Amino acid sequence: MNRWTAFDAVVLGLAVLVCIVTLYPMVYVFSCSISDPLMVMAGRVLLFPVGFSADAYHIVTADAGFWRSFLNSVLYVIAGCVLMFFNTVSVAYPLTRPNLKYRKFLTYYLLIPMYFGGGMIPSFIVVTKLGLYNSPWALVFPTSYSIWNIILCRTFMSSLPNELVESALIDGSDQIRTFLKIVLPLSKPVIAVIMISTIVGVWNAWFNASIYTTNKDIQPIQLYMKNVLAATSTAASNIMDKLPAEIQAKYREMALSGNQIKYAMIIIATLPIVFVYPMFQKHFTKGIMLGSLKG
Amino acid sequence: MIGGMKRDTKDNIQYYLLMAVPLFTIFLFSYLPLFGIVIAFQDYVAGKPFFGEGVTWVGFKWFREFVSSYYFPRILRNTLLLNGMNLLFGFCVPILFALVVNEIRGTKFKKFTQTVSYLPYFLSAVIVAGMIVNFISNDGIITRLLQALGFSAKSLNADPNAFPWIYTLTTIWKSFGWSSIIYLSTITAIDPGLYEAASVDGAGRLRKIWHITLPAMRALIVIQLILSIGNMLSSNTDLILLLYNSSTYKTADVIGTYVYRESLMGGKFSYGTASGLLMSILSFVLTWTANGISRKTTEFSMW
Repeated sequence: MNRWTAFDAVVLGLAVLVCIVTLYPMVYVFSCSISDPLMVMAGRVLLFPVGFSADAYHIVTADAGFWRSFLNSVLYVIAGCVLMFFNTVSVAYPLTRPNLKYRKFLTYYLLIPMYFGGGMIPSFIVVTKLGLYNSPWALVFPTSYSIWNIILCRTFMSSLPNELVESALIDGSDQIRTFLKIVLPLSKPVIAVIMISTIVGVWNAWFNASIYTTNKDIQPIQLYMKNVLAATSTAASNIMDKLPAEIQAKYREMALSGNQIKYAMIIIATLPIVFVYPMFQKHFTKGIMLGSLKG
Repeated sequence: MIGGMKRDTKDNIQYYLLMAVPLFTIFLFSYLPLFGIVIAFQDYVAGKPFFGEGVTWVGFKWFREFVSSYYFPRILRNTLLLNGMNLLFGFCVPILFALVVNEIRGTKFKKFTQTVSYLPYFLSAVIVAGMIVNFISNDGIITRLLQALGFSAKSLNADPNAFPWIYTLTTIWKSFGWSSIIYLSTITAIDPGLYEAASVDGAGRLRKIWHITLPAMRALIVIQLILSIGNMLSSNTDLILLLYNSSTYKTADVIGTYVYRESLMGGKFSYGTASGLLMSILSFVLTWTANGISRKTTEFSMW
């Protein structure tokens, strides 16, 4: 029973193959980003770094536009998380209370947008008419709520022991105070799940920014990256053109390719996700189970 | 409850105070666009209100124009092809992967494989598409690998025949690990006693997968299949916009990308809304039909 069999070997082989296919692109990008530029150009980097050079990172870190958009995205994530938190818990809690009035109306009000949407153009027109075109808030408000998160949070809150809430209410605490002092602290696990998915979602978003803004000063990191990555290698090295002349000359000498700059950017822009990932490990699989509970 | 009616009123005032801002935000960004669908039946001029004076109603003009246009059959064909390939090659990957992970000996490696598998899901579409476009360019690593294997040396970026494969493989790569989580959680919930009983009866591991694991996943697989078939007409506009270019429109253009170009780039708001609405309606009918067929032929349905 506990002997290794051919079956185990096949399973192991498949699992290793999956790991390689999944990890290789990231490893390749990382290795290229820190390798000797000439080796990258010559196509000599296949898995591990060949030689060493931090030049690509120097160029990216000297690029004001990149940091500007990086900082913008950090701000969008903070604003997104604060609003998502507020918009989720403050609807979820009343939905768990038995004496909530107009419950049926509320349920329909929340369910309809889950199944029907206006689509790209009407949303664009509404955002524009609200005066949000080219405003940073256009990237915050439309994605500041998620009906799915509200339902997830409501399901979790209704699973809390009801006596805790009721006894606080009998002791004279009102609804809002009970909500803040008792229900919220107990809802930490589900809030963690929602916050992590918001961080990842906002950090990775680019589409709304591409249609709602033209102002480069407010663009998020992903839109900046898109313009660099989707461009040809020559356009990527245009970043270099913005640097002071002597630095430019130095890097041109080193034959630093546009590709390597792209790779360095990919690594820097992925770092925040790498930091969030262990948190995800801790909370998220639990959260998925939560979500699969019908409630 | 103490206080009765008075208490209820006081509570409800607080409930609705709490909910006021979120409910209003939902109204602004989910309901107003819903009303905005009416512009599909108007000759909408940018900047004008959806209703009221100065609105020209044109009935189904834009729908007719879209259906009779050169683009409608192309979009329909591309959407069905991309989703069909995804269903054919992508649907079973998370299921097979969940089965493999479940059979891995050694908790540490099992956990490692799982952790690695859903990493790509967290990478942004911009980065994933950026990497792919880079890898299949003239001097990209995938192009070089194909050359080493003896295929032609061209960049795949401008090849319309390659696009469906690139899109499908990218989508699978990005999401298989994530999609497998739900299957794995179903497998974990299977009663270990069933496996023990099967072992006593002399069943091998493949037989146990076939007779215990897969039947336990059956309901979930059917539901996921209905969902996928229902989604046959909606595509991942986000990723396609990042992966395609004017030389691959022939096989890559779907409704989202078409509306994006026609309306947001070209300013044809009413036409774009009508095209999008028509595809949404077709998509809804498809989901409904898939669910109906499933309810009749198997005992599973979503509603």
